[in-house]
Amino acid sequence: MIVVHRLVRLLIVLLAVTFLSYALLNLLPGDPVTQILGLSATEEARAQVRQELGLDQPLLVRYLDWLGGIATGDFGTSYITRMPVAAELAERLPVTLELLVAAQVIALGLAIPIGVAAARRAGRALDQALTALSFALLSTPVFVLGVLLILVFAVTWQVVPATGWTPISLDLGWNLTSVILPAVTLGCGQLAVYARLLRTDLIATLQEDYITLARARGLSPRRILWRHALRPSAITLITAVGLNLGALIGGAVIIETLFGLPGVGRLIVDSIFSRDYLSVQGGVVLISVGYVAVNVAVDLVYAAVDPRIRRA
Amino acid sequence: MRRGRLSARLGLGFWLATGWILLVLLAALLADVLPLARYDETLAGPPRSGPSPAHPFGTDGLGRDVLSRVVHGARVSLGVGLGAVLLGLAIGAPLGLLAGYRRKAADAVIMALNDVAQAFPALVFALAVVAFAGANLRNVIIVLGVLGVPSWVRLVRGSTLTYAGREFVLAARVLGARDRRILWREVVPNVAVPASSYAFIGMAVVIVAEGSLAFLGLSVQAPTPTWGGLINEGRTIMEDAPNVVLAPSVVMFLTVLSFNLVGDRLRALTDVREIGLEPVRQAVAAVPAPTAPHPVRDCLLQAEDVRTHFVTPRGLVKAVDGVSFTLERGRTLAVVGESGSGKSMLIRSILGLLPGTAVRGGTVYLSGDDLTARSPAEMRSVLGPRLGTVFQDPMTALNPVRTIGAQVTEPLRVHLRMGRRQAREEAVRLLASVGIPDPARTLRRYPHQLSGGMRQRVTIAMALSCGPDVLFADEPTTALDVTIQDQVLRLLHRLREERDMAVVLVSHDLSVVARWADEVIVMYAGRVVERGPAAEVFGRPRMPYTEALLQAAPRLTDPAHHRLRVISGRPPDLADLPAGCAFRARCAYAGDRCATEPPPLTEVEGRAYACWHPLPSTETSLEGTHVDGR
Repeated sequence: MIVVHRLVRLLIVLLAVTFLSYALLNLLPGDPVTQILGLSATEEARAQVRQELGLDQPLLVRYLDWLGGIATGDFGTSYITRMPVAAELAERLPVTLELLVAAQVIALGLAIPIGVAAARRAGRALDQALTALSFALLSTPVFVLGVLLILVFAVTWQVVPATGWTPISLDLGWNLTSVILPAVTLGCGQLAVYARLLRTDLIATLQEDYITLARARGLSPRRILWRHALRPSAITLITAVGLNLGALIGGAVIIETLFGLPGVGRLIVDSIFSRDYLSVQGGVVLISVGYVAVNVAVDLVYAAVDPRIRRA
Repeated sequence: MRRGRLSARLGLGFWLATGWILLVLLAALLADVLPLARYDETLAGPPRSGPSPAHPFGTDGLGRDVLSRVVHGARVSLGVGLGAVLLGLAIGAPLGLLAGYRRKAADAVIMALNDVAQAFPALVFALAVVAFAGANLRNVIIVLGVLGVPSWVRLVRGSTLTYAGREFVLAARVLGARDRRILWREVVPNVAVPASSYAFIGMAVVIVAEGSLAFLGLSVQAPTPTWGGLINEGRTIMEDAPNVVLAPSVVMFLTVLSFNLVGDRLRALTDVREIGLEPVRQAVAAVPAPTAPHPVRDCLLQAEDVRTHFVTPRGLVKAVDGVSFTLERGRTLAVVGESGSGKSMLIRSILGLLPGTAVRGGTVYLSGDDLTARSPAEMRSVLGPRLGTVFQDPMTALNPVRTIGAQVTEPLRVHLRMGRRQAREEAVRLLASVGIPDPARTLRRYPHQLSGGMRQRVTIAMALSCGPDVLFADEPTTALDVTIQDQVLRLLHRLREERDMAVVLVSHDLSVVARWADEVIVMYAGRVVERGPAAEVFGRPRMPYTEALLQAAPRLTDPAHHRLRVISGRPPDLADLPAGCAFRARCAYAGDRCATEPPPLTEVEGRAYACWHPLPSTETSLEGTHVDGR
């Protein structure tokens, strides 16, 4: 029931985001026709191209037309490259997906032990050190961190390549070496957010009666933290994983440019520079759909983590 | 608040961060006046040279002075930061106030927009707008300012909601003050505190966002240097001249860190300190008197001079101050007193389950074995197998996300090393023994699927699972229905008989205690004020406080609409106890001596009381309560 309600809400969000981005890109100065024909084109030629592309239609009609196409998997044909946008996106999506998943795995894999360790000794030296570390990570712009990591691991130590991409299909080992540095860079900021959230929630959970009673039953602090306290403290963390996807994708745009990865973020940046409206919009749709899908999945994970939510 | 304390609470980091922000701000303002090379002067020094006195940050690929370029870059970063934060505030704060103060429709619309804003890839949006509308200072400020609006709305709405419901605002509304006046006079000053802290965090966010745009070449254009642009240029030559990329990176990191730190510290000013999961620290300097020499008696549980003190900002709080008792197998000891008298702290002190801020003193013997000498790990082998515990509220005593089965079998598996199947069979037996119907099915359920009475039975089953010698029951029935209370107490009594345990029953409900306890200790302000066999203490109280407690207990024989008797006055402040008897201010019998000299606990005929003017030993004041019946 709750999931259905959320789904409807997210679908509305999806419509709003696509319409806003469509309208905005079309209302901004800059004209794809100029981009295609150049400044010296005659007015007749411009009008003809405009008609060919359907640009003479009202905005709302064009939006609905475009949206209808997307519903059937047709993202339109790029004015610039004359290639179907859907094919371009499909080719680049795996790169971005791998980057995002790897970043999340690294962030969560480190944030959970760090958050637990900090909460266990809240206020002590270890906690203060970990809090300071996550604060520093939170304050490091993703491109600064990326540049520093490249400087250390690719330039000085030369253990991984600085830029470039090897697909999984080609060679798994090389694929991993090409994804590790970008994923660490992207994951570090999230790591800081997650560790701080988990620490705060864990400290609150550790004040609960059932934790004191678990101690009164002679259970070890380790067991209490991992088996008793972690799950009831994870809800905010899981929410953040879903909601942070937007920020993560913003980071991916930079990371893909910095590390030369042929992903969706890089496609969007390139398309923005070449005024390739349909590709930009296609990228935005893909991101929004991904956001909605992840947040629906997060709702399902809630139910698995907290049985009280399972009642419908 | 005094200035000295405020600066101490903000911490050294705050002042270092403020200093750095001022330094960067000054450098940016005075960039043209400072004795620096021009930022666009090529070959100001040899290209790609490292740090030198003439060029502290070295020179870039064209021989330009990196320090000068970083300083000029600060103008863009701070300028965009200030502009965008002020713009976001100017649009977002009124909307947030509106949403928080005039709930309903405005709120719904604004929260829906928030949803959309969160799904929107902000950086992609900023890139597109700046690229299409033109990469210049004005456009960057507008785009980043507008992108910051949802955060401002959320923040201001949240704080407004908190304050719009507070008494002083409601009072102003009732008094007919106009909304605008209420907003300006009552709400805005209070919202200003979190808003000013967020302004610093917002600066950090905008500086990072501007840096990202500049890094991709979509901020203020060359020749004006920007931090993001410098980093992007520098990375192409970082093999030969890492200083070119490191200098703006470090400066940018420190600046973002400083803004975040200042914002965070300002916000934390209103936060309460947190405590974690820490073992009890043994009695140190804070406990004044060392435990007096005492014999170790041949009994099940012996507490000698147990003290629990808290060092608080207001002074030393003596929550438990020198409590002693002994308890035999098969007996029930009741601990009674008003809330705050130290009953629960006494139990937690015995079990070693105090918060990290507590200091414990005294000695506790279990069958002659000193528990207070045990390490936390050694203590764990006693908790469960020898000492069982039940708490007041069964709603909070069970972990909401674990099945009953997982929770009941856990001590069996940890302490008795039972296998999964064996533990499950034992758990079914345990649940059946505490009167839970269909125990096998209950094991698969979650706490929220059980009633309060059933949950309390489950916690009792858990406490008994490893066959403890002593069961500590801290207000076990207070949170339950009256009809369930009696069932649970009967159950505890039956289990005590069956298992030959001792029970320590903490309660403020004297009718419970009088019926089920063998012995009783009455606590007031952390001390024992009366002790003895339950029937005698309640039949003929000697200490006026005990009498007052008995008179305050409602009785079934009271006529309907009878005025509820209460003990006049309130318990004393534990951080600031009066000299003499702590109960003096509320006592009808108090004399001069009570004000100066604390009465010692005096032993008389198997009983003890702490009073200078004890009640006569013949009086009977408990007509309505059962003392004998079990």
